Amino acid sequence: MKPSTTTYLRGSVRPLKDYFLRTKPLFRLLCLLLLTSTAAQAQTKLFKAVAEDMAQDFQLILQDGNLVGYLVFTQLERASADSFNYRIEIMDENLNDIGTVKFRDQKLNLKAVSFDQDILCLAYVKSNFVGREYKSEKEFRRSRGECKATLFNQFLGLNGRILGGTTTALDITPDFTSSPASMWKVLGDFHFKHGIQLRNISGKGFACFYGDDYKNNLLIFNTAGKLTWKRQINDNAEGFTMLTSGTEISLLVKMREAMKEGGYQVLSFNAIDSTAYPKFLLKDKKGNSLKVLAFENDPVSGKPYLAGLVIDPLRGNHFGYGRAISHGPYSGVFSISLNGHTRKDIQASFSYWNDGSLPFIDKYGYLPQSHVYANIERAFKDYQGNTIFAACGLTSKVRWGAITGAVLTVWTIYGAPAFLAGGTNKYATRDVLLFKQDAAGKLDLATTVRAPRSSYSFATYPVTSYDPNNYYTVKNSDTHTQYLIIDKAKDIDIYNVNQKKVARTIPHKEGNNLLTVFPAKEGYVMVYEFNKKEKTTRLSIEAL
Amino acid sequence: MIRAKIHLLVCGVALLLTTAVLAQSGSLYSYQDLSHFYYSKQRDSLKKAWTCPTSFKDKAAQKKYREIWDQRIDGIIGAINGDDYVHDNEVYTYIDGIVRQITEANRQLVPVKPFVFIDRSSWVNAYAVGGNLLAVNLGLITFSTTREELALAIAHEMSHNILHHVENAMYQKAEWLSSDDYKQSLNAVLDSKYERLSRLKKVLEGYTFSRNRHQRYHESEADSLAIILLKRSNIAFQAGYFLHLDSADLEYEHPLKHSLSAFFTAYHLPYEEGWTQKRSHGLSTRAYSFSDTSKLADSLKTHPDCVDRYAKTRSLTTPNAHLTPIPASIQDRANKMLLWNMYSGVSLTPCLYRILLIKDKGNTDLWYDFMLSNIFAGLYYSDRVLNRFNAIGVVPKEVISRDYYALQTLLEQIPRDNLKQACQTLQNGGFWKNMPSVEKDLKSFVFTLALDPDDSDRNKARAAHLFSTGNANSMYNELAQNFEKK
Repeated sequence: MKPSTTTYLRGSVRPLKDYFLRTKPLFRLLCLLLLTSTAAQAQTKLFKAVAEDMAQDFQLILQDGNLVGYLVFTQLERASADSFNYRIEIMDENLNDIGTVKFRDQKLNLKAVSFDQDILCLAYVKSNFVGREYKSEKEFRRSRGECKATLFNQFLGLNGRILGGTTTALDITPDFTSSPASMWKVLGDFHFKHGIQLRNISGKGFACFYGDDYKNNLLIFNTAGKLTWKRQINDNAEGFTMLTSGTEISLLVKMREAMKEGGYQVLSFNAIDSTAYPKFLLKDKKGNSLKVLAFENDPVSGKPYLAGLVIDPLRGNHFGYGRAISHGPYSGVFSISLNGHTRKDIQASFSYWNDGSLPFIDKYGYLPQSHVYANIERAFKDYQGNTIFAACGLTSKVRWGAITGAVLTVWTIYGAPAFLAGGTNKYATRDVLLFKQDAAGKLDLATTVRAPRSSYSFATYPVTSYDPNNYYTVKNSDTHTQYLIIDKAKDIDIYNVNQKKVARTIPHKEGNNLLTVFPAKEGYVMVYEFNKKEKTTRLSIEAL
Repeated sequence: MIRAKIHLLVCGVALLLTTAVLAQSGSLYSYQDLSHFYYSKQRDSLKKAWTCPTSFKDKAAQKKYREIWDQRIDGIIGAINGDDYVHDNEVYTYIDGIVRQITEANRQLVPVKPFVFIDRSSWVNAYAVGGNLLAVNLGLITFSTTREELALAIAHEMSHNILHHVENAMYQKAEWLSSDDYKQSLNAVLDSKYERLSRLKKVLEGYTFSRNRHQRYHESEADSLAIILLKRSNIAFQAGYFLHLDSADLEYEHPLKHSLSAFFTAYHLPYEEGWTQKRSHGLSTRAYSFSDTSKLADSLKTHPDCVDRYAKTRSLTTPNAHLTPIPASIQDRANKMLLWNMYSGVSLTPCLYRILLIKDKGNTDLWYDFMLSNIFAGLYYSDRVLNRFNAIGVVPKEVISRDYYALQTLLEQIPRDNLKQACQTLQNGGFWKNMPSVEKDLKSFVFTLALDPDDSDRNKARAAHLFSTGNANSMYNELAQNFEKK
């Protein structure tokens, strides 16, 4: 940092120099505020007032499920009683700025961003009450009748021009949350029944799905920003997941049914002519319900596939906690490729272990060689047509202390039940197990990734409360390589599915540095490093 | 046919390499020549020597003035502590010679010779900080072709000092920040319900515009006085230097004469054309065309355009001037210092590209091969510590040449194993035989950082300690210090 009062021989700073000394746009807002604070040191009141109107949101720009860039949406200031000035900064996949767009509109909350045909589609909730501060709950209730909200789809070209916007009325019940600034004040808010999902339709436009209080709407836009068709999805479902594949839109619908984790069906539409294809119900040949872990596009064919677990009809409704997993709530795994809409286009592979036919796993999902139960949490397809299932191994131990306590206090009324409330066994997670189901449906244990045992927990506690592992995949379509990122308690393993080995292990903590890894552009991860001592952060986009 | 040509070219480059003149530049500056060490006395006495004068009757204004004054001192102290400056005897003596010549010929205007810093920055620039102190960037030394061109830049900065531009700017800033106008305009922003940020920006821009307008005027003033200083010093003035200055930022837009593949093949480094082609489907590969925001609005420019400066001073050009080229040894040292600074600052792609540009001109100095090896080792090390992206410094294609873009893409996409192979190949390169021992010692240290299977901090610290114990005076010690401190 040079003294601020120097005079230079030349004044114009060229961009390349800026890039070498660049400040990431993520922190622009902060810099802007710092600039303001430097200029108006004594005017903290003014600084606060200006900052109060500012807000920032960071979104990934996705196309066909791949990250192609980043977007920073900033609310700059209140422009009038009912409008704000906004700025959108668009960055490429390397976090380099490529352009800025400024506009004025009503209060906007950015929900999703998608990209196709060099057009960006942004989905906002436009409202006159979300985020607005009310003096009291009473005042909010009084003005509830005037609260309005719409879905606003905005379309931007890569030349910085706003091509258009489409507004769709929302039927929502205005709500409020407490204001962090005051005990009495409240902020306007609302909740979607089903949140906004936005995806590009390759070469055609965008599909936007949401569910408000009364309806579930699927909206299809062309790249000029015109609504080409819309459809109400009337199912009273628990959840929806939208997927676009080529010119088709699929909705995975989770219905309420006897098997709590089951009840899935797939609805499909043709994006061009809005044709609805026959509904596809997810059951195996015996009528068992299926639990879906993956609903994605096949990396080779680009067509949708589903993968997950076959729910045991007897034990399937006890799931999620250690004791339930050890009782075998699942009978096997499945993968279904939806290559079309006729029976012959649907390729399903089911692999069962509940019949005891698999040597490495017993009928309860127990692996005798590893001494763990498989708690399958993630599934995905690789480039070789295999389906990979990632599981954390669940190990159990008898709670001798609790049993002894129960025996000793058996003469009391509450002693024994209190000792045994958490079960006679305790559970912990251990190594990560990767199962491979090949195209013919043959299931095998592909590999075991070492992971330290978690602390033991009661049999009735959810596994998620002590399972430290998170999983996500990163693919490289050029090298046809699939990676599974296993984010564990102490480190992150990058597992190369093709080579069946851990390509790299990144510790979460190294000295004063805390590291986190996020998905980035294809074949890369974003490394976020925070130095606790120096309070500095570093972002890097690293190849796998 | 093309293959044959490439083969010939490769053979040619290889031949050049094997018959390279071992033009070792002698040792460059020592570690103790870095500013935190060399200028420690000046740093410690700066606060005492530069006391803020009482210029305002108003207490608030004087307080503000002192704040700005102290900020300037803190800035210089920060730069000294951060080793922004270096005292390489040969380069310093050369620059100081120019300053002395101008001072001695202009005793009335410059009674005391200014204190000069050599700034390690690659930015083609020089600057005055007031208080008879000025700095010349290494980037300016490597960019300038003649002594007269350097002298113009130095005389220009000396003129700023003579005309008290820095002090005046500080005074005006304090005056403005403590003025009622300023306070009122801030209060007006606070009183407004809407567009507070825009109003605040307007207040600040109003000042910036006014300051920059004055600064542009000051620049013209400094240009005019610089020409007078030069004429009195019998240093020829060429208005054309202003036009040359206009191309200062195009360093990375220069294409390479030889292809990347020729360079890589000459060093037996793994190379695939595919690595130079962007595989990403991201926005960087799309045809975006947002209006260019990197250019400054005319009102915000602090300096007149180079073409205008040329036009204004053209008539004052010294006719039939005998121009003195900057000695090759000075250029060479400045170049090497600049490259080392870029390398230690982990700006690996620009550093490598500059080396390729130098090699393109037929330079066979083995020091550049040594640096090439360091760069690949540095990149592999960065990859190991998950920092390859930042070490490369990926920049958009619009601001660099096609070759730079290809090199940057290659460094980004070269598979880890191939990068390791490149690193190992260069570590075993034939040029090491003729390298001095200090460079060989650095090789061992860099090997520990990049290729040693033991990736622990303790191992790196041990290697750093080993290097710095044996080479306490070496400029390369700067790199080792980063690891030894841990």
